[in-house]
Amino acid sequence: MHVTQSLELFPDHKVTQVLFRDVKNAAELRQSAVEGKINGALINPTMLVHPFQVLVAANKAVHLDKIGKMKTRSLYSEVIFNLSPTNNISEAFKRFGISDGDDCVLVVLVQSTDESQLLEEITAKVDGRQVPVEEISSLSDPAKIKKLYKVSPLEEKCGTLLDAVVCRMATKDVM
Amino acid sequence: MAEESSMAAAELLRQAELLKQGAEARLYRAVFLGRPAVVKQRFPKRYRHPVLDERLTHRRTVQEVRSILRCRKAGISAPVVYFVDYTSHCIFLEEIVGSVTVRDHIASTQETHPNPERELEPLADGMGQILARMHDEDVIHGDLTTSNMLLRSGASDLVLIDFGLSYISALPEDKGVDLYVLEKAFLSTHPNTEALFDKLLKSYAAASKKSPAVIKKLDEVRLRGRKRSMVG
Repeated sequence: MHVTQSLELFPDHKVTQVLFRDVKNAAELRQSAVEGKINGALINPTMLVHPFQVLVAANKAVHLDKIGKMKTRSLYSEVIFNLSPTNNISEAFKRFGISDGDDCVLVVLVQSTDESQLLEEITAKVDGRQVPVEEISSLSDPAKIKKLYKVSPLEEKCGTLLDAVVCRMATKDVM
Repeated sequence: MAEESSMAAAELLRQAELLKQGAEARLYRAVFLGRPAVVKQRFPKRYRHPVLDERLTHRRTVQEVRSILRCRKAGISAPVVYFVDYTSHCIFLEEIVGSVTVRDHIASTQETHPNPERELEPLADGMGQILARMHDEDVIHGDLTTSNMLLRSGASDLVLIDFGLSYISALPEDKGVDLYVLEKAFLSTHPNTEALFDKLLKSYAAASKKSPAVIKKLDEVRLRGRKRSMVG
């Protein structure tokens, strides 16, 4: 049910996404993530249009990590930061990270070799129901996304919402 | 560390299919995050001083993605930017699958159609409108040719590409030169299309709010050429 994609630019890295619904221990999960006990990014799926958005963020995070130009302290916080259209780190966590009351969470792992053990370790910590990652589109809140990324109806005429979001994520450092 | 990452792009491109090589960059076809993509790599120019080379290349890369975003925000189709690597100066773009260049489309229509002029009129109209919208956003493309416009497969939807020489300017002079460059390119690649290009200009003039000043400048530029006279 999880989705794994290897990064063409970094062939020894792959990104795994696992989606959970009816999560009961979001507060506990968030706390462990803050303490660095979880080796993964915990993302609020309502702000995601499509799993591709996460891949773009993860690829950029690995790239910036390799050249030593990350804006945040860890690879996983960088993934969350890269999803945000602004350069404000705490705002990025607030919007794209999970909050205590959330009942859905997308777990994102960036693995360098075949570490399937890591996946089980984290999924065991989530008290929720694992669902196909494709369900992300039904959880997202397009109105909120359009507002945050400032996507106008005019722009949606020449492409999808995902296109608009990905473009902003990829170019936000030079805007 | 920095070298390691530029090598990541170089490694990927080594196995990618080379689509085109220009003076400025190489264009490759590759798969990126599972999707068909085009990678534009600006390679180092040995004939320039390394510091100058790095700066120019960096600026053009930045300029290109900025203009693409600005156009998209105004509803003008341009490829989606997936990723930008400022260490190896690579831009990873969406591949417009199954598209043809306007150049090829015009050429094949001229060959096969009994009345190409008539057939291509809607296209000239569309081009005029798109360029008017782009100029109204103050985006100057810098390299307008019929090869830098794509037609999506089966649709009349125009996609502008190659914003490598683009910049932002509100000056009618710059917009006039932009159109002049297109006129030169258009009439020299496609013989006997003066009437068609006229149609394009008419549609531009009708669609753009600021067209009178631009068309006036275009007439001036035609008399003197692309460069401003430095005499006096």
